[in-house]
Amino acid sequence: MTPKLKRLFIAVIVIQIVFLLGIVGYRESILISGRTAVLQTVPIDPRDLFKGEYVTLRYEISTLGVFTNNPQVKLYRLIGDITEGDTVFVELPAGENFDKRLLAVQADEPTSDVDLFIKGRVTSSKSGIITVEYGIEQYFVPEGKGLEIEQADEVEVRIKINRSGTAAIQELIVDGEVWRP
Amino acid sequence: MTEESQNNDSDQIPATSGQRSDAEVTPTPAPVANDQQNWLKSRVAKWSESGIISDDQSEAILNYEAVPEEPLRLGLKFNRLIVVLSTLGAILIGAGIISFVASNWQGMPAIAKLVLLIGGQTAAYAIAYQIQFVRGYPRIGAAIMFTGAAWFGSNLFLVAQSYHLPTDNPDILILWFIGILPLAYITRSKSITVMAVSIFAVGITWKIGNWADNSENAFIIIGTLLLASAAIYAVGMLHLGREKLKFHAGPYLVSGALLAIGVTYLLTFEENFRSTASRSIIESNSATGAQYALVAIVSIIAIAALVISDRFSSQINRSLFARFAEPAIVALVVALGWVLVTHLAYSPMGYVVIFNLLLILLIFGTITLGIVKKREALVNVGIIFFVIDLSTRYIELTIDMLDTSLAFIVGGLLLLGVGYTMERARRKLLIQFGIKEVSHDS
Repeated sequence: MTPKLKRLFIAVIVIQIVFLLGIVGYRESILISGRTAVLQTVPIDPRDLFKGEYVTLRYEISTLGVFTNNPQVKLYRLIGDITEGDTVFVELPAGENFDKRLLAVQADEPTSDVDLFIKGRVTSSKSGIITVEYGIEQYFVPEGKGLEIEQADEVEVRIKINRSGTAAIQELIVDGEVWRP
Repeated sequence: MTEESQNNDSDQIPATSGQRSDAEVTPTPAPVANDQQNWLKSRVAKWSESGIISDDQSEAILNYEAVPEEPLRLGLKFNRLIVVLSTLGAILIGAGIISFVASNWQGMPAIAKLVLLIGGQTAAYAIAYQIQFVRGYPRIGAAIMFTGAAWFGSNLFLVAQSYHLPTDNPDILILWFIGILPLAYITRSKSITVMAVSIFAVGITWKIGNWADNSENAFIIIGTLLLASAAIYAVGMLHLGREKLKFHAGPYLVSGALLAIGVTYLLTFEENFRSTASRSIIESNSATGAQYALVAIVSIIAIAALVISDRFSSQINRSLFARFAEPAIVALVVALGWVLVTHLAYSPMGYVVIFNLLLILLIFGTITLGIVKKREALVNVGIIFFVIDLSTRYIELTIDMLDTSLAFIVGGLLLLGVGYTMERARRKLLIQFGIKEVSHDS
């Protein structure tokens, strides 16, 4: 191998390693310095819940724009024209004294009025109701361990969110207790 | 030097010359003196070790020069065994490590996982470099280098899994492709080229397939896949125009041909068009900006590669047909890809006729190009799809007309007839390439 090719070879290997370390570093930075939020999961078809290696998670904020009279349930107001494929920013309750019932969902990055928000991508938009994915819809578990989650009554997910709204799963809370594999 | 005059790819059938007749397939050797034989033996060994010529070409050269069968030629026959053993060994090591990691993954601290993943990948590359380029064992080194490239891909998936990122994501395959493609060229590794191009073809098909949401999207998906196949094939043609890159052309040509013929085959069924929308993509505004951007990018790559490959190729003693036939077929695929993407007119029967004709053109074009360019893999792809298409049309034609058992008998007789014709054609091909066929009965 000529010296030039050898340098190129080393450069490619270094780029591969830096890229992998970059992913690790970015996700670790979210987990270390991101703000904490706890999301309630909603029941989905049990046949889809556990796919062997990972658990599929759906959240209250996975479907937005649905109206309900239940005062305990937050309402999400779609601001502006939001279509499939758009990136959206969804306001989240921040802190224990958060009393807003109407939360904003918008395509533009939120202003400082919005304390905590999560970024997602619209996967479908029909009749004013949108479905959003946030990159936190899978939770990988050791083989055979997913049944406990599948059979739980209540599953919450503690996430960390960085300043740009990107979220990372920190841990699952199954029936009130932190779930350990 | 024309692209047919020098063959550097191991999947190419070596060109030899000499007196031939139907009865005699071995060329007449020219006599050489012993010291010339020794010189030739040593040079052929060096060329083979460097990957400049394949083992088949080494054998053909030594056969032609009537160099007696000695340890060197026996050594060449062991080359394939070395490659097989090395590759199996590398796969076993890789499988063992994956198995160890999988069974102990959850109990491992994060830092240990990272060290194992990245350290293992780096070690594989370092060992491969030492063995292939320093110690001079190119085949074993290439097998370990392949393991390193595969390790990078598995690292992408394992890191995504560690942070609960979606792994059913074609972008991971695209990133894997981008990461290992430069390595394929730097190390002149055909196996890594094959892996990279295959990963890209699967990834881009998956990514485009994810657009499927309603019947209006179907046209833009299929159209984009056709365009992608043309782009991949055109990039392969581009490689043929440069001596140093010719080695890597095969995987692109075969992947492009396979994808183009496979997609076109799906378009030969009227049922597939009846279930799709009658409004054009433009009328319904059902395609996004990103989708149009991808369509534009693959089209530009295909056309640019065609134009540049024409400029690179030597035009000496090339007829107009030889120069333009292949690019014309690729350009036709691009044009029909755009017809589907824009879907300006809705005519299921019209589409079926056009794409059946395109399929015939692609199948026979692939076989012809495979013969002319001496690329066995292209010939095989063409023949396989010829058989599939023939069987499909026969079943379509006879299913309502003939009793089932009669249809089977007639179909069987037709296939035997096709097989006999192809066997005769195959023997003529072997004679043309000067390959001596070994009888398994002797």
